[in-house]
Amino acid sequence: MINSDIIRGNIDAIILKLLMEKDRYGYELANEIKSRTNDRFQIKEATLYSAVTRLESRELISSYVGEKSHGGQRRYYRITTFGKAYFAELMKDFCELREIMKAILGSDYHE
Amino acid sequence: MNKIKKFVSNLLKDYFSEDDKKELIAILTTSLEEKVEDLVEAGTPVDEAIEKSIKEFGSTSDVLDAFSPKDSEYQKKMIRERKHGFLYSILGYFLIIGLALFFNLQFIAFFQHIYWFIVVAIGTLFWPGTMFFRYRIAKK
Repeated sequence: MINSDIIRGNIDAIILKLLMEKDRYGYELANEIKSRTNDRFQIKEATLYSAVTRLESRELISSYVGEKSHGGQRRYYRITTFGKAYFAELMKDFCELREIMKAILGSDYHE
Repeated sequence: MNKIKKFVSNLLKDYFSEDDKKELIAILTTSLEEKVEDLVEAGTPVDEAIEKSIKEFGSTSDVLDAFSPKDSEYQKKMIRERKHGFLYSILGYFLIIGLALFFNLQFIAFFQHIYWFIVVAIGTLFWPGTMFFRYRIAKK
């Protein structure tokens, strides 16, 4: 399982990416991360939902109450324009970091 | 579902300001309740779903993980900047008042012995007042 510091450093990018695809509710985000990574990227829901709250307070995402398919309500999150711009910045940083690591690690680096 | 709210409230009891805590508790509780609903819809009994959700949720440090360290750095920077802004506004305020006082007293006969600098002193109070308010918000 991957180091928790790495997870924490990348959680913003992961949440924003998943919300770029479509609006999602909290547990849906947790499930999506779990299923896409085959449980290799385990993040506590406490950290995930708190990160979502933090992103919302920074206006990178917004939320609304939506209807479930069979009654009830859910709090859905959507990415804002600021969020999209911030995600682009994160991706730029991520690519740069990858190049740096590649240059330093050389043959030990695997894509 | 009160069990969930109690669990989340207990998790955050010693952290965050009252307003932030209230908001965070509401959001974390909603997310946990949504998980419980999903599990129940998938066939898990309610009590079991609540227990499972609470067990898998994580601890206080997992919550705090989401806010550190980059955010605390950002917050420290913002508090510092607003403190400087507040101090600058106090300096600016006294400079303006000093100038107004000087002109008022220097040409007191011209102004027919009206101490108008008092109006300026009260009127410009909004500046350090606003900056202090912004500083307090950042600190909170």
